[in-house]
This record gives sequence, structure tokens and C-alpha cells, in this order.
Amino acid sequence: MKSINIEHYIDAYLRRFSTKQMIAIPMVALLVSLMILGWSYYSTGSPVELGVEFTGGTIVTVESASPYNVVQQEFATQFPDTSPLSGRDAGGGRVLLQFGPMDETQQLELNKYISSNYGKDVFLKQMSALYGEKLQRSAIKAVLYAFIGMAIIVFFIFKSIIPSGAVVLSAFSDIIIAATLMDLFNISLSLGTVAALLMLIGYSVDSDILLTTRLLKRRGTTDEKLRAAMKTGLTMTSTTLAAIFVLFVVSTFAHFFTSFSRIDIISDISLVLLLGLAVDLMNTWMLNTGILKWYTSRDAPTRKKRGRKK
Amino acid sequence: MNGEEGEKGLSGDYRVMLLVGALILSLILLFLPTVFPELNYGGLRYGLDLDGGSWLQLRPEGALVQIDADMDQIISQEYGALLNETITLTRESSSEVSFTTNKIVTDKQIESLGYGEATVLTRGGVTTVDLQLSKTQVITTYLENKFKTEVVIIEDRDGSWFEIRKKTSAEELESLLIPVKGSILAYKDGVSPTTLADTKIILENKLNLFGLSDIKPTIVDNEFILIDLAGIDIDTALDLAGTPGKFEIRIQTEGNETQHAIYGEDIQSVGFHKTDTYGVWGVPFTLTQQGADALKEVAIETNAVIDPDNHNVIMLLDNKEIYSAPLSKDLADSLKYVPVQQMSASFGTDTGSKERAKQLETHLRAGALPVNVEVIGSGQVPASLGAQFKELTAIAGLLAIIVVSFVIYFRYRRKEIMLPMILTSLSEVIMILGFASAVKWQLDLPAIAGIIAVIGTGIDHLVIITDEVLYEGKLPPTKVYLTRISRAFGIIFAAAATTIIAMIWLVWMGFGAMRLFAMTTIVGVLIGVLIARPAYARIIKEVLKEEQEE
Repeated sequence: MKSINIEHYIDAYLRRFSTKQMIAIPMVALLVSLMILGWSYYSTGSPVELGVEFTGGTIVTVESASPYNVVQQEFATQFPDTSPLSGRDAGGGRVLLQFGPMDETQQLELNKYISSNYGKDVFLKQMSALYGEKLQRSAIKAVLYAFIGMAIIVFFIFKSIIPSGAVVLSAFSDIIIAATLMDLFNISLSLGTVAALLMLIGYSVDSDILLTTRLLKRRGTTDEKLRAAMKTGLTMTSTTLAAIFVLFVVSTFAHFFTSFSRIDIISDISLVLLLGLAVDLMNTWMLNTGILKWYTSRDAPTRKKRGRKK
Repeated sequence: MNGEEGEKGLSGDYRVMLLVGALILSLILLFLPTVFPELNYGGLRYGLDLDGGSWLQLRPEGALVQIDADMDQIISQEYGALLNETITLTRESSSEVSFTTNKIVTDKQIESLGYGEATVLTRGGVTTVDLQLSKTQVITTYLENKFKTEVVIIEDRDGSWFEIRKKTSAEELESLLIPVKGSILAYKDGVSPTTLADTKIILENKLNLFGLSDIKPTIVDNEFILIDLAGIDIDTALDLAGTPGKFEIRIQTEGNETQHAIYGEDIQSVGFHKTDTYGVWGVPFTLTQQGADALKEVAIETNAVIDPDNHNVIMLLDNKEIYSAPLSKDLADSLKYVPVQQMSASFGTDTGSKERAKQLETHLRAGALPVNVEVIGSGQVPASLGAQFKELTAIAGLLAIIVVSFVIYFRYRRKEIMLPMILTSLSEVIMILGFASAVKWQLDLPAIAGIIAVIGTGIDHLVIITDEVLYEGKLPPTKVYLTRISRAFGIIFAAAATTIIAMIWLVWMGFGAMRLFAMTTIVGVLIGVLIARPAYARIIKEVLKEEQEE
């Protein structure tokens, strides 16, 4: 009997929001996001904070019984020229330190110090600023090409400007708002989060294609089709959200209860996906739905007449 | 029983057979090494971040340039500096330059700058020098003399390039070209693909030498060399590959001044370090004919053959001195008249000398890289941390499946739907892993994230299929079922195509770690769309039919 309840909520939702509201709310969110990203670009030179892979630098995690700020202080005294930019507890009795870009000699000195004071059981990752820049350009290209490729396929599938445009717009909005949330949640752009944004394109389009196909290629009233599409779509997103949520919790918080260390790359990917999927719920079931509702009502000549008489 | 009928209906279906076949094959591949370890095939391989080890990303230092310079300017400037007076060019053509000088010079002196063969004629106090050369050769030599490094000609689609095998910049080159009225036509940082490949092979040989034949450096982006060293810590890795060094032999001229004799590539072979009859440790090595000639000439020019004690032979690695000793009396005497190919670098009789001899042997043997390499990225994951990551991701994966099962059950309230869905999803994981073991992928954390992403979209697609089939809450007649299924697959194929398109750039551009992520995603989507989901559509129909018949 629970399944009827879901339909009940869907009905309530569809009655509560007019087509105009459905389009306006996500559009405002998109515009605000663009403004935030623009401001961030203007003030820092990059719309999203860049991680070590893109700026160059070194990340080290060492096993230590001391709290992270003590270890950070130790390195700051030892290496005044290349002192750590930040430090934190990495779980599993480990401390994570992040350094800015350094040259080969400085890096070798740091390596030597670490291996003679902290043994071989050290996690280390060093990227040069030069390669970081190259990687940045590649990453921008990857996201851009992925997006264009997706748009081409979507247009090819629906062969109609407005419905395909709506899918592309909501995928675009997903990425933009997700990037803004990354800014607000202080998640920096890493290879992992770029991958997450690419995955988001895939997930986002899944539900949009479902919605568009159901509404345009099936008989029945718009509301009826919409209700069914929403039921399927919400199930899809909730299974994905559930899986990603587990991934996020385990990779991020396991070290509070167990001796495991945090897995940063999985934690980053899953958090961005969680935020992105939540945003996608809005963009699919408000923005895309709103545009399609307006599009189908405009298409039907009888409704148009009725609309004029009002 | 009904159950048996259902089984029968399914077992004849080619989609289900394909799924079962692919599953069996995957399981065989995954468990092959447990049963037949000697085959050394199949089973999962893990990347560095799960198995522990270190990685290096190296970039050869150098520049490819196209330049234009005035041949006469180079010759008059270079010889003017050598002879310390202004020389007068008398004749020039594309293959010959002549000039006159008031100084008395020998052809050896003229040829020491390396600008081709010289004919010297002195008549009435005026010396006429005739040089056979070409413009390319003149520019090459000029660059070699100025940069004190090797310069080679590289041909490609865009024409002919000078490859300067040393870290430099457009500004530095420009400043060297201004005095000879030259200009840069094109400047590219980095080295040619051939040089990159040579560097890679020499690194590979070096790793082989240390018994690490499993480790294969790879070229990334036509610009970098990536080396994954499983089970090796970063310090050792950097010692082995990061500082491979450029080998050079020079001979002391006066005081701190030295003159270049040969580079590492003129060392033909290297023997084992050993003691001679007097108990002195040394490393025997053989020079190429060319190298022997060069060494003889330089030894004579620098006067090392007459006065060896003031003209040490110096071996340099990365411009750092690793060996310096005078020529032995015997060798000095021989070199006056003939080139010598067999030599030995000697140390003392103590154990420290033995160590130094051993080290020199390694340096000589490894062969010098054609260019220096810069470490632009490196890292290490300790094996213990890798093991934790492996365990934790496995736990996360299992938990995710359990939670998803609950969500599915909560939505459909039927385990007849939930079970095939979860099992299909699991079968996709097994097939992806089977494929990974067949093509020997080294699974790393991003690859696992890719598998999880695929499972996410996979469940999404199974929900689409189920909802299409169950549009009215129960199984429709076969005809309707077929149109519904084809509609569901329309959505699924469209979604899969967009995911693949979104990922393909990552594979194509292939930046390091994310490449495997994209490849697992693409392979996973294909396996799901072509094998698992068609079979699921068939299975769910049988399951629902059975349920309705009951």
C-alpha cells in the first residue's frame, strides 16, 4: 500500500507547483550559481578551488601518535621554505599534510626527511605545477567535450530543439550548481571530482531521457505520464543516492569507528555525486518537467485555444 | 512444478545463455590463478594504490626548435673568438666556407670546434682556411658548442627540427642567436617521439638490470614517461629511475677547465668490477670505434698523453663528477699513436673502492639517457594502507548492495523483483572483473569508483525495464510486453550512449589515473547494455509470469 502513498505525494507536488514556478525556481538557482562561480573566478582566478593535482604540490600522510598540528609544526620548523599549507587527521593513526609546489631538490630533501623519521610506511603524492596546468586544460577539455558529445546524442535522439534543449539545459545546470555547492562545501577540484562531474552528466541524462521519452512518445494525458515517469525516475535516483551515500559514509567516516584510514578520492567522488544527484532531482522534476509541460501544452492546438479564451 | 517450467523457458533463451556463458567465463578467468598458478593468467590485479608501491612521472628535458641563422656570421664569430682576431671571409657557398687569418694555425685546431673538415694553407704570412660544411651542420655545431650538449636533427611532418637535449627556454636560445643574426622560427618544449621512446627503452633496460623486469615504463601524452613500481618504495624508485643521469667523459685542460671527449652512448660494453693482479679495484669497459677516436684526439689536444698527471680523465653523471683519475702511463703512451677501445676505470684496493667500482659499473652499464629527465610527479602508497583501502572498498561495496536491495524492496514490495535485480547487478560486477582480469587491468581506486558508477546506472536501467513491464501493475500480454521492452531499451541505449560519450574523452586524452576509471565505466556500460539487461528483461518476464500463474 506504500506505493500509493508515493503517487499521492507526486500528485500533491504536481498540484502545488505551476509550470511557471517549476521553471523559475531552478532557473533562479542556476543564475545565482553562475553569479557565485563568476565572483569566485573574478576574485580567485578559478571558478572552483583547485586541488593539488591541478595546482601542483605535495600530499603526505605519515603515521604519528601526535595530533596533526604538532606534526605540521614540526615540518614547518624543519622546512621553513616549503612549510605545509595545511594539515589534518587522516584516520587510522595517520596525519595528512599538504605542501605547495616545490622543486626537485626540495622534494628530495622532504622525502629523505620523511623516510628517515617516519619510515617507509608513508603515503606520498607529488605533482609539479607544470603538469598540473596541463592537467587542468585536459580536465576542462574532458568536461567540455563530454558535454558537447552528450548534447549531440540527445539532439540526435529527440530530433527536436526544445525537448533536447531542455535535457541539455538541465544537465548543464546540474554541473554548474554542483560546482557551486563544491565551492560552498569547500571541496576542491581534483581528478576524482572531475570524474564525478562527468559521471553526473551520465546520471543526469538518464532520468531526463526517461522523462522526455515517456512524455513525448507515449499515449495518455500529460499528468498521467508524468506521474508514472516520476515514480520510475525517483526510484532510480533513490537507489543511486542510497548506494553513493553508503560509499560516502564508509570512505569518509569509517576512521571514526575503526582503524581504517579515510579514502579521500572515494570520499570526494561520492560527496560531489550526492550533491549533484540532489540537484538533478530539482532540475529533472522541475526545470525539465516544466519546460516539457509548457512544450506539450503549446503543441496541442485545442489547449492553445482554450488558453486564449481565458 | 511451476519452477521447472520457468527454468526451461529461460534456459533456451539466447540472451540468458549469453549471460550465463559470460558469467562462467568470468568466474573461470577470476579463479584461474587459484587453480593453475603456473599459467600466470587471469585473476585480479591491483594498482599501486591498492597493492602498495610507488610511481614516477618523468619528463625528458629538451627543446625542438626551427631556426634560421647566418652561416657566415656563425663561422666568423666562432673562429674570431677561437683565433682572437677578426677573420675575413673570402668565399662561401652552401657546402664550403673559406676565410683568411694572419695567425698560424693547424687543421687540428680549426677542426676542434667541430665545424667540419678543414684544409689549411699558409702562404706569405696569410693563412687560408677552407671548411667543408653545410648550413644545418653549422647551426647544429653552433648550438652544441653554445649549449654544451648534444643537438640532433629530427624530421617530422612540420619539417626539420633541431633537438636541443638540455633544459632551455626560448629566451635563452634567442639570446644565443642574436649575435649571429639568427631567429627562432618555431619553438617547442620537450623532445621528439623518437628520443622519448629511446629514453623509455633505456629506463626499461636499467630497471631490468636491477631485476625488475615486470616494470614497464609507459609513454603518456607523447610527452611523459610513467613508471609504476609495485612493491618498491619511493626512495629506491627515485634512485633507480628518477636520477638516471647523463654520462659524459671529459679531460682536464687547465686548472678547472675541461674538454668534452665522449658521451655515454660511445660506451659499447661494460665488464664486471674486479681486481687486477695488484688487487686494485676497477671497471673494464669498451668504447666504440668512434668513441676511441674521439678520446684519442681529445687526449692529444689536451696534452693528457704527454702529461697525464695534470690532465685527469673525468667521468660525469648529470654534470656531477663520479670519477677522476689520470690516464695510466701505458694508456697515455698508446693514445699518442692509436685509438684504444679497451679501458678500465681503476680505484684503490680498499673495500670503499670496491663499492665505488660497483657503483660506477651500474652507471656505465645502465647506459646514459639521451636527455635528462625531470621528475614532475611521484608518489607512494604503503602496502598496509593499500590493503586497508582494498578492505574498506569491499565493505563499502557490500553495504551499498544491501542498502540498494532495501530500497528496491521498499519500492516494489516483492522479493521476486528484488532478487533478480540484485543478482543481475552482481553479475555485471563479476563480468566487469572477469573482463579486467582477461585484459590484465590493474584495478585502482578510480577503477573501483567506475565500477560503482556503472552499477548505479545499471540499477537505474533495471528499474526502467521493470516499470515498463509493470506499467499496469501486472505483466501485459506478450505483444504489449515486446513494445514496452523495446521502448525501455530505447531509453537505456540512449542513456548508455551518452555515458559512453561522456567518458570517451578521458580514455582518449588518457591523463593518468582517470583513464582506467573511464575504461571500466565504458566496458561496464557495454556489458550491462549488451549482456546483463537483455537477459534481465527475459528473466523478469518469466518470474512475473510464474507469479501470476500461481
